[in-house]
Amino acid sequence: MTYNASNGGALKARMLRTGPDKNQKAAGANDRGIVSQADWRRPRVRWSMRISHGLLLASLFLVGLGPLLWLGKAAVTPTQDTLREPLSLWPNGIDLENLVTAWTRVEIDRYFFNTVALAFGVWLVSIVVATTGGYALSVLRPAYRKVVIGLVMATLFVPAVVLLVPLYLTILNPPLVGTSMINTFWAVWLPAGANAFNVLLVMRFFDSLPREVFEAARMDGAGPFRMFWSVVLPMSKPILGVVSIFAIIGAWKDFLWPLLVLPDPAMQPLSVRLPALQKFIELDVFLAALAISTIIPVVLFLVFQRMFLRGAGLGGAVKG
Amino acid sequence: MSTSSTTTERDPIPSGHEGTDSAHGADAPAGLAPQVPAERGLATASAPRRAWVAWLNAPGRWASSGGLSTLIFLMPLLLSFGLFSWWPIVRSAIMSVQNTNLVDEPTFVGLENFQQVLSDPLLGTAVLNTLYFAALALVLGYPVPLAAAVLMSEVRKAKGLYSALAYLPVVIPPVVSVLLWKFFYDASPTGVFNTVLGWVGIDPQPWLQSADSAMPSLVLYATWAAAGGTIIIYLAAVIGVPTELYDAAEVDGAGIWRKVWHVTMPQLRGILLVTFILQIIGTAQVFLEPYLFTNGGPANSTLTVLLLIYRYAFENSLGGDYGAATALSLMLAGVLAVFSAIYFRITRSWSTS
Amino acid sequence: MKSLGRRAGMAGALIASSALVLAGCSTSEEPASTTSDSGSAEAAPAGPVTVKVAIDAGLEPEARDAFDERVDQFEADRPDVTIEAQEYTWTGTTFAAELAGGTLPDVFTVPYTDGRGLIEREQIADIHELVNELPYADQFNPNVAQAGQDADGNMWAIPIAAYGQGLHYNRTLFEEAGLDPDSPPTSWDEVREYADTIAEATGEAGYAQMTSSNTGGWILTTLAYAMGGRTESADTTMPTLDDPAVKEALEYLQDLRWEDDSMGANFLYDWGTINQDFAAGRIGMYVSGGGNYGNLVTQNAMVPDDYGLTVLPLEGEDPGVLGGGTLAVVNPKADEATQAASVAWIDFYYMAKLADEEQAKANAEVAASLDQPVGAPELPVFDRELYDQSREWIADYINVPVEQMAPYTDAIFDQQLVGEPKTATQEVYAMLDSVVQSVLTDEAADIDALLADAQTQAEGIYASAE
Repeated sequence: MTYNASNGGALKARMLRTGPDKNQKAAGANDRGIVSQADWRRPRVRWSMRISHGLLLASLFLVGLGPLLWLGKAAVTPTQDTLREPLSLWPNGIDLENLVTAWTRVEIDRYFFNTVALAFGVWLVSIVVATTGGYALSVLRPAYRKVVIGLVMATLFVPAVVLLVPLYLTILNPPLVGTSMINTFWAVWLPAGANAFNVLLVMRFFDSLPREVFEAARMDGAGPFRMFWSVVLPMSKPILGVVSIFAIIGAWKDFLWPLLVLPDPAMQPLSVRLPALQKFIELDVFLAALAISTIIPVVLFLVFQRMFLRGAGLGGAVKG
Repeated sequence: MSTSSTTTERDPIPSGHEGTDSAHGADAPAGLAPQVPAERGLATASAPRRAWVAWLNAPGRWASSGGLSTLIFLMPLLLSFGLFSWWPIVRSAIMSVQNTNLVDEPTFVGLENFQQVLSDPLLGTAVLNTLYFAALALVLGYPVPLAAAVLMSEVRKAKGLYSALAYLPVVIPPVVSVLLWKFFYDASPTGVFNTVLGWVGIDPQPWLQSADSAMPSLVLYATWAAAGGTIIIYLAAVIGVPTELYDAAEVDGAGIWRKVWHVTMPQLRGILLVTFILQIIGTAQVFLEPYLFTNGGPANSTLTVLLLIYRYAFENSLGGDYGAATALSLMLAGVLAVFSAIYFRITRSWSTS
Repeated sequence: MKSLGRRAGMAGALIASSALVLAGCSTSEEPASTTSDSGSAEAAPAGPVTVKVAIDAGLEPEARDAFDERVDQFEADRPDVTIEAQEYTWTGTTFAAELAGGTLPDVFTVPYTDGRGLIEREQIADIHELVNELPYADQFNPNVAQAGQDADGNMWAIPIAAYGQGLHYNRTLFEEAGLDPDSPPTSWDEVREYADTIAEATGEAGYAQMTSSNTGGWILTTLAYAMGGRTESADTTMPTLDDPAVKEALEYLQDLRWEDDSMGANFLYDWGTINQDFAAGRIGMYVSGGGNYGNLVTQNAMVPDDYGLTVLPLEGEDPGVLGGGTLAVVNPKADEATQAASVAWIDFYYMAKLADEEQAKANAEVAASLDQPVGAPELPVFDRELYDQSREWIADYINVPVEQMAPYTDAIFDQQLVGEPKTATQEVYAMLDSVVQSVLTDEAADIDALLADAQTQAEGIYASAE
């Protein structure tokens, strides 16, 4: 037997909303899940749930945190110890020097700042394109909006790989600009704007804003620019947060594209530089370098955990 | 989105172009009613045509009624998509029938590039490897996150801790985690994984160093790296199942297992299908793992389609074969477009139901 | 057509004029010296020129200091030239794109194997007129000079170094296994025996081999040469992977790997990673270029006492040791003045230390003062006499353990040096990578079938390279 909710349509409608509503909270408000209160009262259920949750938590610790902890340990362990007894805790003492060497001698700092600069530019470009585009398409609604939306959505059909070569050649010899953008951050920053996901996400968020607010603002004599700056943007913080997180994390993770357009090591971000460095530096220093490059995204995640997970869940809601 | 993040780490292309996977998340459902694909999108625009006509007749009125400021707002979008998405897509189609070496003027060669790619003995290997990767990724990466999500939905205390731990691997930069895992996969008896296996009395495994186990090793890593995102999606979906359904099932005397099988799973059917398709689209473009772990080895056992494209274009000391690279890209795109279309159909039918 | 002809004519004139100036200068210097002192170009005209020169990636700070000091010396001689270092390692894979993208340095180095293709496709500057003005232009070892010449014998690329393959071994692992580090193996059977002993006694890889990033084909070819075979017909038009020595080499590896299990656990090494593991004491023996010592010590912190080097055993009929080397080339997009300054830099930085006593000493002194290795074995780019002389010049500064390399240096000049295959070398190597990987990772690998298939593929590669 299959239970089909009569209100399934409504539920989906609710979940499909990418707007500011708190669908997780709404769903969580009802204080039960698959296991009922009555089930919980049965000792066998209670115990098996506790045990399976305990096992789950233990394996999540092992799998989620284990590699990070190991990396942290290896970052301050001499090479030979890591090679011979990878799972012992400092058989021959701690070597903090690795971190210093990685930061100074290997110049991890430079690649680190390159990464930050790249992420910042990608973030800025993504936000500008997504908000202005989303605003024009959702709020200003020109007659040709469907064409533009169609064209933007069409890019979703094209696997990223198709763009690889022609985009590379475009960067090599860009129209309008004239000079090659290879070995400049622009080569990474500018293409980041053409992200259909961001544009559509922001557009649908704007769609969900109450139209009365716009009408009222228009009555007060707000032009399209003031409306954008003083009405729409301040209302968009939640979605901007999500877009920002994904833009920054995406830039931090990016590999193939910067590898192609930033051949000069002085310009490369960590993700591109690390595999190359592996060939030149000793293992302990290399692992320290890996640890350093992991810190920022992990800290970002821990600080903005809610926003990350909401973003992740949001994607699910959109899809489901 | 989380599938986007699941696939993002595999996705070799800049965040700006992860198009396929992540992007699908956003658009699909509601009334936007995709009149895609692109070519058709252009043809269906009758409303816009009216607008253009109106504009041509009375440009002054168009500007004063806000048309100009709209265009200003659209400019960043049009420029970035035009230069870095639409034009490259068109150019890709052009290049696939050309011979381009960046030095001489491109020459038209018809379907030669396609023939060349199709007669490359490595193409079959790459396609099979990619399918193998996708299949393994489904076997490993599908049930585990689902089970974890169902279990997690019943956690009453410290739910955030579970989610955070599960999601942690997703935020580690993939290059870092690949290089780290490459070290874990050291095939000598003192390797990290082999040491752990040794504790429970299992012989050292060759991991990446054998044609048989290299691909499963890559998939194991990919699953680890992506599972967190999938878990969060499933978790949201499980929590979203209307509780009345459970109440109703209990009235019929259903136990926990029956509730899971007959209430939860049917409710998740849609999202399972979507993640399935997104995973296919994502795995078809797997690049980072074979590139960094094995560079396609041993003996081409981890050579994937995208790695082959990369080699055509960027790893040929006789000069990049951009024609062959774009030709193979387009063929891959054709296959993926079928999956994308299915995906759109599914999500669209929901939004209209 | 007309404008093209004219442009070429002008370029010719420019080359000629700068060459004239160069020639004029060197005559004003003391004549008849075999040296290339940098002074010869001192008065070269043209306004200030900036030359971007390639340096190795990932240099230790000391090595970088040594380089910078040489730059200062050069710039002191040539105030009109500014040298800018650019971290760059030539890779065939991205070269065309880099050339088109304008990201190449003006001076960079490429392996012998790639020189021919670059010259044929005119992807490097034709500097032969400038080269001909160098005082040692006619003193190159003819075998070596060939690597940088076009079909007419004009030198487009300057050979700056040559190597012959050697067998590197870890003396400490030898001792741990009860082997005498002063008498390394002299036959392939002994290599196998030693590898097995080391693996048994220490648990490390007795013998390891590169297989990735085209090195698989490179080393397989090396082994085939050493066992008396060739992988290309004498006229370079056909691959000969069906040569019995190729099969013998693969069977040899198969025995080490599957019968003895003496090759450790990593079968995806490339040049960087095998050096790393060797330096870390995880490999007993491996085959690579004889000049690896510098990399092992400066980039991988190898303990000098561990290091040992000997020649490859040569067996079978007409065996040879595979040799190759490095060419210095100039970016074809560099203008005339930059090209002239580039050649002056190559002369100063790479060549003078080989051909000029004063420069050789100065260079060695800088390197030694910064603890950079001086005196690692190389093969002569010029004739043997000049080479021996240059070793004497720097004798005081040599700081590498020469005795530990004696088994190599004593014998290498008696071995027949055979160049690498000439047609589509890297493509065939890349294809052979997977053959070697198959043998090392698949116990059931069918060597005959693999080689038959490889031969077919190589014929295809040769056909399309023509």
